[in-house]
Amino acid sequence: MESNIVITSRVRLARNLINYKFPVNMSPDEWSKVISEVDQALNKENKNYRLTYMRELSDVQKNSLIENHLISPALAEKKDSGAFLLSPDEKVSIMINEEDHIRIQTLGEGMALKECWNLSNKVDDILEESVDYAFDKELGYVTSCPTNIGTGMRASVMLHLPALSITNQIDKFLYGVSQLGVAVRGVYGEGTKSIGHLYQISNQGTLGASEETLIEKITQISMQIVEKENRTREHLKKNNYDELEDDFYRAYGLLTNARKMTSNEAMKLLSLVKLGSEMGITPMVKGKDIYNLMVKIQPNNISNIVGRELPKNDRNKMRAEIIRNELLNK
Amino acid sequence: MLCNECGKNEANVHVTHIINGKKTENHLCEECAKKNQSIFNTNFSMENLFSAMLNSAFNTKTYLPTKGCSNCGMTYDQFRNIGKFGCSHCIDTFKQRLMPVVKSIQGYDNHKGKIPKRAGGKYRVQMEIKRLKTELRNAVEREEYELAAKLRDEIHDLERNQGGE
Repeated sequence: MESNIVITSRVRLARNLINYKFPVNMSPDEWSKVISEVDQALNKENKNYRLTYMRELSDVQKNSLIENHLISPALAEKKDSGAFLLSPDEKVSIMINEEDHIRIQTLGEGMALKECWNLSNKVDDILEESVDYAFDKELGYVTSCPTNIGTGMRASVMLHLPALSITNQIDKFLYGVSQLGVAVRGVYGEGTKSIGHLYQISNQGTLGASEETLIEKITQISMQIVEKENRTREHLKKNNYDELEDDFYRAYGLLTNARKMTSNEAMKLLSLVKLGSEMGITPMVKGKDIYNLMVKIQPNNISNIVGRELPKNDRNKMRAEIIRNELLNK
Repeated sequence: MLCNECGKNEANVHVTHIINGKKTENHLCEECAKKNQSIFNTNFSMENLFSAMLNSAFNTKTYLPTKGCSNCGMTYDQFRNIGKFGCSHCIDTFKQRLMPVVKSIQGYDNHKGKIPKRAGGKYRVQMEIKRLKTELRNAVEREEYELAAKLRDEIHDLERNQGGE
């Protein structure tokens, strides 16, 4: 059940070049020099990474990349200076001229922080063969903001925690977790309130511990959360089976029949159906498919299908249709 | 509950502000909440927090104003306001003042992670020797003499290369 609760893992490394001013201070000439240095450093042997400039993209395209977690909102704001390189399998993306010159980001499915770190580390080494990094003996990798200094690493996992959420334990529990030096936030929605019961936890500090130590810490804490979520699921199944079964089938009924649906409603219902199928109560859908569907029905991803920004009403209709097709054709 | 603003739709966004102990509540529908983005704009982020800490830590007159970064021209005041370095040299320029704040935010003031091959240069070799020496001590304690001998040779090699540079 672990891989259904830990949905994705991500490791991000922040790096800067010694020869250029940092993004807050850069000139347009420097923007393009940094982009081409990074592009050449990475693509010198094989031309596999695709370079995309922010200025080439529409708002819908940029937001869709954000919804797919391939770029950050901060990069999308760098309309003139930002760019990113994407590996063919979309597991590695290198954002250029975001808050730092370089942000290497690797994504993996399930609990895969170690694999992500190894991959990020490898890409980092390849880049460093050709570009000159800013590094300080005492403070490590020099980042724009001192909150990232040291390893420059942010390791995070996305967790689906519906049982902890519907039993109202989540706030208290995550508050406790945040006391251990990790940051917790909702993936969709503001602050710690999460739509679709998706949460991201990541290391708060970046200095004073090795990358491996930080990753081990996030892994350990995540596994404890997973265990707690699993125990709550067992408890619910034993004590509230009838209510749960009814809730799950109602959610499934709405999802497979509604003709219009907002993303908030869809996220809530899909989260329930995902839980139901993982608990073996509504065994008609697979957990992983549901998460992919949650990403697919985000506002800009829907607009992106038709290639332009859709009015809300049309979007809600299209969302309901996508969900019906996806759930009924399985 | 209906939206405070338009009075038509169901309120599903609830905002509580506590300013100087005075509590105000606002119940809005999704549409009106979007129009009133500013009420959410509490501007809380790590960067703002950091810049606030810099400000509070150094508003005392203990420190005399120093000159800015010789490479990019950023002054300490500018750095304090935006909380971001202007270039890789700023860290040396502002280091003395920065260290206590970094320590209070990060909990540490010393890098223990990866050292880059080229930018780390000799320092990387020194740290590697230090690491191997610790391993060597542990190996001896565990009476793993074969491993210890191997580690000793590795250390010798590194030290010899370092001397030759």
